[in-house]
Amino acid sequence: MSTAIDEGAGAYLGCESCGLVSRDATGDDPALVQHCPRCGHVLHATKPFSLQRTWACVVAAAVLYIPANTLPVMETTSALQRDEHTLLGGIHELWLSGSWGLAIIVFIASIAVPVLKIGALALLAWTVRWKPGWRRLERARLYRLIETVGHWSMLDVYVVVLLTATVRFGPLASVSTGAGLLSFAAVVVLTLLATWSFDPRLIWRDPPAAATAPDGRRLA
Amino acid sequence: MQEASQARCTRCDALLARSHRLSIQGILALTLAAAAAYVIAISFPLMSLTLRGGAEAATLPQAISIAWQDDQQIIAILAGITALIAPAAFIGLRLYVLIPLAAGSKPPGFAWCVRALHQAAHWNMTEVFTVGVLLSLVRLAGLADTTPEPGLFALGAMTVLFAAIESAGLKHLWWNMQ
Repeated sequence: MSTAIDEGAGAYLGCESCGLVSRDATGDDPALVQHCPRCGHVLHATKPFSLQRTWACVVAAAVLYIPANTLPVMETTSALQRDEHTLLGGIHELWLSGSWGLAIIVFIASIAVPVLKIGALALLAWTVRWKPGWRRLERARLYRLIETVGHWSMLDVYVVVLLTATVRFGPLASVSTGAGLLSFAAVVVLTLLATWSFDPRLIWRDPPAAATAPDGRRLA
Repeated sequence: MQEASQARCTRCDALLARSHRLSIQGILALTLAAAAAYVIAISFPLMSLTLRGGAEAATLPQAISIAWQDDQQIIAILAGITALIAPAAFIGLRLYVLIPLAAGSKPPGFAWCVRALHQAAHWNMTEVFTVGVLLSLVRLAGLADTTPEPGLFALGAMTVLFAAIESAGLKHLWWNMQ
């Protein structure tokens, strides 16, 4: 991950796209925008409005997480009955049918990963402001973990799309999507956007009290 | 960089770069193989289902259009971007960049393509989709006769090829320019 380094006369900016490090020519003027001389990507000391965007997505995801779990994500119709399946209900059925391994995989993808992401991002965003010096290396590793496992929560969305597309035998057997699926998909996308808007460089930023050096120069 | 070595950030321990066994030509070959697998994966059914004489099979584009007709447009768009468009961009942009590079020239719009490749890698969820197909097969096994179809095998091949291509990263493309 790229970073702004304080050294000598000015700060350096790392390109998030190609990795080239350039000298910060903008100074403190927020109106100036600097582009990477090699690939043209916009350079920032930290992503703009990183914390605001992260909080907005995390809060929205946490709210939508409730309908995603209480409303059915899938409805099945068979000759005998009509059933509604929630996320947890689907995992319970897999467990009862003896597919324990699969039940665990789906539990991790649909329940554990979204909860981990919402919780971890809230913790990361909160500590940047209130506990800046606390366990920095662990927080950096936590961010990389949620960045890696993030998209696995799409699993259930794909399963429902595939089941509705293949189980189409009219009244004999059919599957249709439930209202909860849209909320769940929104949770997945919002947590992905929250992860991308959080800037891990904020973890290493010094607290505001120490942000002004004796000579009045602002530290990155 | 030496063989089998890695560079890590001294502050946060993130992986910055690692040496890679594959040359530009090697990655180009893998990308061509992934392109072939992609064409098979989207044009053949992924799985089929037989129930009391009736049979249903769906390809990935069909599954997405069924979701669209089912009034789930947002879900259809999301699945379309992550399982259909992003992998196509992942392969297509790489081919556009790698073929001239392997021949020793720089394609027009190179910088834009590499930045677009970063986005494509973000949204590409082929490996999750592959596990999704396997999971659907297992969940349907109790209900009807399910058969994995050629599309699923191609999808599996694509997942492995993507992992191999991605392990090379994108920064080496810039090192190759100099």
